[in-house]
Amino acid sequence: MNIEIKELVFAYPNGVLALEGVTVGIPTGSLVAIVGQNGAGKTTLVKHLNGLLRPTSGLVQIGDWDTRQRSVAELANRIGFIFQNPDDQLFCRTVKEEVQFGPRSLGFENDRIETLVEAALELTELHEKASQNPYDLSPAWRKMVALASILAMDTPIVVMDEPTTGQDAVSIERISRIVQSLHGSGKTVIAITHDIDFCAENFERMIVMRQGMVVLDGPIQEVVAEREMLASTYVEQPQITRLAKRLGFSTIVYKPDDFIRVLHDS
Amino acid sequence: MPDRLSFFIPRESRVHSLNPLTKLALAFSLIILAFFGPGLFLPVALYFFVLVPLSLLGKVGKEFLQTSFRLLLPLFAFLFVMQSLFYPGGETVIFSFWIFSATSEGVVFAFRTATRILVMVSSFLLLLLTTHPSTLMNDLSRRGVPASLSYIITSTLQIIPQMQARAVTIQDAQRSRGLDTGGNLINRIRSLLPLVGPLVFSSLVDVEERAIAIEARAFTLPVKKTSLIDIPDSRGEAVLRWVMAALSLMTIGYRIWLSLN
Amino acid sequence: MALIELKNLTYHYPLTNSPALQDLDLEVQEGEFLAIVGANGAGKSTLCYTISGFIPHFFKGELAGSVSVAGIDPTKAGLGEFVQKVGLVFQNPFNQISGSKFTVYEEIAFGLENLGIDPAEMRERVDEIIRLTRIEDLKDRSPYALSGGQQQRVALASILVMRPQILVLDEPTSQLDPIGSQEVFQVIKDMALQGMTIIMAEHKVEWVAEFADRILALSAGQAIKLGTPREVLGSPELPEHGIGISRYTQVARKALQAGLWPEKRSMPVTLDECVQGFQEIIA
Repeated sequence: MNIEIKELVFAYPNGVLALEGVTVGIPTGSLVAIVGQNGAGKTTLVKHLNGLLRPTSGLVQIGDWDTRQRSVAELANRIGFIFQNPDDQLFCRTVKEEVQFGPRSLGFENDRIETLVEAALELTELHEKASQNPYDLSPAWRKMVALASILAMDTPIVVMDEPTTGQDAVSIERISRIVQSLHGSGKTVIAITHDIDFCAENFERMIVMRQGMVVLDGPIQEVVAEREMLASTYVEQPQITRLAKRLGFSTIVYKPDDFIRVLHDS
Repeated sequence: MPDRLSFFIPRESRVHSLNPLTKLALAFSLIILAFFGPGLFLPVALYFFVLVPLSLLGKVGKEFLQTSFRLLLPLFAFLFVMQSLFYPGGETVIFSFWIFSATSEGVVFAFRTATRILVMVSSFLLLLLTTHPSTLMNDLSRRGVPASLSYIITSTLQIIPQMQARAVTIQDAQRSRGLDTGGNLINRIRSLLPLVGPLVFSSLVDVEERAIAIEARAFTLPVKKTSLIDIPDSRGEAVLRWVMAALSLMTIGYRIWLSLN
Repeated sequence: MALIELKNLTYHYPLTNSPALQDLDLEVQEGEFLAIVGANGAGKSTLCYTISGFIPHFFKGELAGSVSVAGIDPTKAGLGEFVQKVGLVFQNPFNQISGSKFTVYEEIAFGLENLGIDPAEMRERVDEIIRLTRIEDLKDRSPYALSGGQQQRVALASILVMRPQILVLDEPTSQLDPIGSQEVFQVIKDMALQGMTIIMAEHKVEWVAEFADRILALSAGQAIKLGTPREVLGSPELPEHGIGISRYTQVARKALQAGLWPEKRSMPVTLDECVQGFQEIIA
């Protein structure tokens, strides 16, 4: 399902412009990371995808739907949105009930709900914790519950707001696996993140925002090369890229394996 | 998000520089006078001849009048309509239409209630407009009011806008999961738990962390607390407070005496 | 005697069967900067709470072994003694705002009011700490109207103004964006350079590697490694315990397997060490 954002402008009721004309197309199956400083408009942009915010002017299209003509509840069929803080959504007595809530709200058949919930629990490695109360779990696992609860809605597009914040190495790896698995099943994954290394290693395309505008948009390879532009938005280059640069590599690398390959070849 | 959450307007004035307890005592004694004092017109007189001049002296006259009118006009309108028409036992009919009739007893009762509320609300308004909330709390705890009580009052004031912001985020998160929050009554009732649940649970987590944070700042240390902001007080003000306390007691005494006879 | 001494420490949270910390021995000298690394649930926060006296005085539970922090024994002294000697700053900046103050300046003074410090001295100390933590421009604003990084610096200032002997930081940057983290790290670095004793739980190993004197690695409540950043962060067992290692260590480890890392060299932890090692190979 393609996403088309054209000339999107958004102003808050007090007149402050949060988005100043954003045009981005995201084809089916994309792996896109959005980076930029707090206040650059990243969250404002993605909240337009599921109708939580409506364009002041311009157009946001999800497949054949114009978001202005659809309710948030309808758009929930197409966009799964994982909020940053899991505590803003957890309310059920067990992990399983929590994960069932989304697909139930969408009115899926019981059999389908069962299958989707099982798959989501499997993917997030929550199987053994299915009957526990989400609030008895650690914050890192609560984040997994929030993730599972959105994955079970089986939307073609999944949006994650800061998936790795406050997570340890094991759980960041788990999130990487989830991203890759979603990508493998043909879904579009969009993540807002400050973690440039996570972003370089797991995504294919990077959109850099600054002051309500897209300043860079392209394959990771090209975007991470733009050191000055990134620095102007307070984003550092990935650690591997910096290392390669210090060693005087002529090609841009950003993954440990690519680094070893280039090192080997030279 | 508001940068400040209090009525306080920082200005230099004779009222601002009074001790907060003096202003609190003034507020309470005006309220006692308004409720238990003699005469139908005493509350109005207190408002126009004590509170309004004090607000002008405190350089907050504009804000005082604006806020007191904005808060109270709708209430007055409601009171007058309800009480003048439905006051039980009203006999002197002023005018009537259809099945309703306004009685003069009702009008008097409405006037009395409304003016008493006017004094009550505006006395506190004057206190809040001219008193920094931390000063009031510090002064009270310095005088032996438990620090935790004044802490609860101030922190509640500050937490409300945060809770509102959180409620909006929770609503966004649940709508993104397909929750339909609008429409008919059943929908709205059904959507209550997903909206209120996270707010309650996350507040419980927050309360524990906040308790640790204020403990780490020695909040419960059994020493006499001091105050960053200098709190003025004088013999004169202390005398004034005693006079107001005596006046309040006399007013209550007068009311008891009346009811016994 | 060391400033902090933990001997054979085992601790259970109330109503739990498995210990959150087990048989832990630790000595920290005055002026030392000790970082604690470990996966979520490894016991980092529990250790931070123990050193700052919140265990066993706020979280009850069962504490065995001996604890001595700046000469205080928690079995004999209350939380009040601890908070005057040990400052605690934790993850969530928002929940560290007292909620009873209306400006940053007053917020920072809150702890001093509770200690009963004379107002004149209070102002001096608040002014000084505002300068040290570089928040002069925030002092008249409401603590609630700040960004996470700014709030966390206010939280740090509010603790530092109480002049603790030991500063305990429990993942102070984990909720912050890169700029916020940098600002907070800068303040911590300044404190370390001034010789303050610092205990800090942290996931960002690249940063810790540069500034900590020693690192303690925890896994499932037990100490698995204690030593210099290079000894600990370069150790091959870390990933087995779910502890993140820096990209520099990761890439050098892969290079070593491919025969592209100088064998005599230990595993690098920082960018500089990594560059030096690879330069040898390229040359």
